[in-house]
Amino acid sequence: MNIAWTVFLPIIAFLIGIFFLGLSRKIMARIQWRYGPPITQPIIDIIRAFSQRSVSHGILFNLGIALSVAGSVAVVLFLPFGKVCPLSSSGGLLVILYLMLLSPLGFALSGGEAANPNISIGISRKFILALGYEVPMLLILLSLMTYHKTISIVKIVEAQQNTGWSIVTLPLVLSGIAYLLILPAILGVRPFEIAGASQEISSGPMAEYGGQYLAIADVEHALSLFIGIALFVNLFLGGAGDIFAPVENFLASSGLSCMVTFLEGLVFFVKMLAVFVICVFINAVYPRLRIEQAIGYLWRWPTIFAFAGLVIVLIVGR
Amino acid sequence: MSLQLLLIIAFGSSLVTYILGKLSQRLRDIFAVIASWALVVMVAVFYGKQVENTSYLKFLDMNLILRMDTLSWLFAITITVVGALSIIFALSYIKMKERTDFFYLMMLLVNASMLGIVLSGDLASFYIFWEIMSWSAFLLISYNRGPALAAGMKYIVMSILGSVAMLVAVLSLYGRFGTLVISELAPAMTSASSGYILFLLLLFFTSFGVKNAVLPFHTWLPDAHSEAPSPFSAVLSGILIKMGTYGFFIVIYAIVGLKIFLGLGQGILSFHYILSIVGAITIIIPSFIAVLQNDAKRLLAWSTVGQAGYIILGIAYGTSLSVTSGLFHFVNHAAFKALLFMVVGAVEYRTGGVRDLNSLGGLIKKMPVTFIGAIVGVCGLIGVPLTNGFVSKWLIYKTLILEGSPLLAFAALIGTWGTILYSYKLIHNIFLGQLPVEYKEIKDAPISMQVPMVIFSLVIVTFGVLPGVPLRIINNIISSLGFEPLNVSLWGIVSETGALNTINISVAVIIAGIIAWLIYRAGKSAVRVSQDDNYAAGAYVPVDKYSYTVDFYNPLYRIVSPFLKDYIDIFYVKLTGWTRKFCGKVRLVYTGDVGNYVMYIMSFIALLIFIQLTWSVWK
Repeated sequence: MNIAWTVFLPIIAFLIGIFFLGLSRKIMARIQWRYGPPITQPIIDIIRAFSQRSVSHGILFNLGIALSVAGSVAVVLFLPFGKVCPLSSSGGLLVILYLMLLSPLGFALSGGEAANPNISIGISRKFILALGYEVPMLLILLSLMTYHKTISIVKIVEAQQNTGWSIVTLPLVLSGIAYLLILPAILGVRPFEIAGASQEISSGPMAEYGGQYLAIADVEHALSLFIGIALFVNLFLGGAGDIFAPVENFLASSGLSCMVTFLEGLVFFVKMLAVFVICVFINAVYPRLRIEQAIGYLWRWPTIFAFAGLVIVLIVGR
Repeated sequence: MSLQLLLIIAFGSSLVTYILGKLSQRLRDIFAVIASWALVVMVAVFYGKQVENTSYLKFLDMNLILRMDTLSWLFAITITVVGALSIIFALSYIKMKERTDFFYLMMLLVNASMLGIVLSGDLASFYIFWEIMSWSAFLLISYNRGPALAAGMKYIVMSILGSVAMLVAVLSLYGRFGTLVISELAPAMTSASSGYILFLLLLFFTSFGVKNAVLPFHTWLPDAHSEAPSPFSAVLSGILIKMGTYGFFIVIYAIVGLKIFLGLGQGILSFHYILSIVGAITIIIPSFIAVLQNDAKRLLAWSTVGQAGYIILGIAYGTSLSVTSGLFHFVNHAAFKALLFMVVGAVEYRTGGVRDLNSLGGLIKKMPVTFIGAIVGVCGLIGVPLTNGFVSKWLIYKTLILEGSPLLAFAALIGTWGTILYSYKLIHNIFLGQLPVEYKEIKDAPISMQVPMVIFSLVIVTFGVLPGVPLRIINNIISSLGFEPLNVSLWGIVSETGALNTINISVAVIIAGIIAWLIYRAGKSAVRVSQDDNYAAGAYVPVDKYSYTVDFYNPLYRIVSPFLKDYIDIFYVKLTGWTRKFCGKVRLVYTGDVGNYVMYIMSFIALLIFIQLTWSVWK
């Protein structure tokens, strides 16, 4: 069963991510009084890109992009989706934190070989931005791990079934707010669309990709969108949760336990959708910040909230 | 085989190399390589053996003693392997320079003296070998003359201060307990007062802190590492500064003992907690100073200070996970930092001494093997999964989080993010981006440089995928120090509170990578284009006019640089200025002219006679 999930989970993650990408274009269009492309447009783009000609700048240019997809797929296997988590006992949250690094690193290595000035600027911005949001994010994750006394993400999700969602658990409220404040930066949407600014540095790290490179980069984009939101849902919105406990019990007793897994997946998806739509709205109304402004923001309010949250956990939680 | 023989060969071979060098260069090179590898083999033979105290010399009624246990074996094997590989690396690096015989003599002498340090069973021989190491390191640091002389001077002044502190501690131990043998000191310490132990620990902390470059004693290191010849930088950063770590280990866990060490003080004000905080600060500040550096070796030097912080944090925190992590990180750091210094050394060798990050670039196409070394080394440094650095850092994070010190964990984690920034800068500015015209004809590093780099890369990946190999040895060490051993399997750690399985992680990443690669291959094959064939949204990309590597993190630099001045170094420089001024004043009296001194003596005697005649003070 686990092996089957190892194959299916990345595909599900990709489908959800690509659906979100299509949806965001539709929502953005409607906000701007346009009709917008069909919701399947990102998939069409990927298929089209595959059939097109492309240029390469060297072996690392090819390998780097494979590494970045590989990193994202590996993270998906470590993230609980509903109650499914194929690699739950191989490392936990700390490993996720490190594996999430592979994908930007892969893009950075791949783009670095292309010797395009826009790419160098984009990568430099991406790393600085990542440093910006990692400061509050690490504080948030540490307060979670300290509060639940575990480094396993599965245990954190399980613990929320008893205590309720982390974001409404009293000592963790501030951490949850801080996470919401940095979520657009993690996803790289406006106002934090700094690394891939399309009008300014011609999409930054993406500038040299065409053909199947662009297709693979889009796949990675969909996966990382899934990861960014799924992590938040798992850590603060109770994962798949047990709001359907009576239904679940009924289904389990009538021998339809595969339906339970399906329902949990559905709940998880709905939560992700809600979070994503909020991020799209933020994306629609804000202009792009400069990198200094972004750091100034990220190291001010979210960090203060996250730090206060950690102090509260240290005082209350023991 | 006895330990005396080992040391005799180690020291003897350095002299023989020097003499052979006068006869033939080729013979000397061959002998130096063979001798250094013979030491590796001889140390390896001692694996798993305990050698009890054996006296080798009598000195002022004291027995000077050698011994070997698992801890010294781990350090000894690291010393000999890094030493031997750096000798191979040096073969072509040093060929065209002057005073090569002297260089080999000193390299082998440093390695021999470090071997002496880890094998000594009493503090007197420890001190003697320590001094040999300090002085030969000084001669190697200032080998290049010029700015290297100033760097060497800075190092030796701080080193002497540390040695003096150690000498005071050693003498006070001898005066109180009448012995300097480590195994005899340990039971004696139980009767000592906690004030005395604190006094001892502070003195030893000064001494080992200077060597290990713990804040605020780190200021010699960036200068020394960047000015030393690269093969020695590898040794210096890989193992020499870790002699401080070994010293911490001996003093804290072998002499003072775990219980007394953890019992010094209360809560946050306890000694081990303060030492942990010092380690944490040593992680953060240097890691971010490294981001701002433009000299490749200086960047690596600051990174060494930061990584040493992880080791100190691990040792000082005092749980079995943290001490394991500290020891494992010592081994790992020796591998990846020696490798990175060799990479920079190879680039320096091929480009004619260029290590300015702003003027290099695009070397991946010209030096692929060196690049592989760089990327593996950098991944180990960051702690990317599948490399050794990941496991040791995972251990320290885990224990810090679960023991309830999230702020220390935050320091360790954010230090890693600083590491990512400067590591990528190092890779990008040397190997990626545009290849400048003047390097179009460059060749990859010679084979004698490639071999050590490849070996280190293999070690890094092996220890990352199969961490159980070194962790089992470390487990023996920590259980002999009174810790609870970890539940180690070949590919990770089994535990209730969060297991680690590196095989699963590796398989997941590798299979996903292969699938992505196959998908990539399924598309139309790409057209290879030159580096100047770039897309810039219609704008003209100037060819070979701009270096995209200059000011890589400029926006960050503008934000953080005011906070990251090395105030400690500025203070030390001021202190030397004041001392020099004061000494200048003193020199007005002590002119060095004998006539003046005679005059002082005469007038002093005259004063005494005058006092006696007037008041008759002395009956």
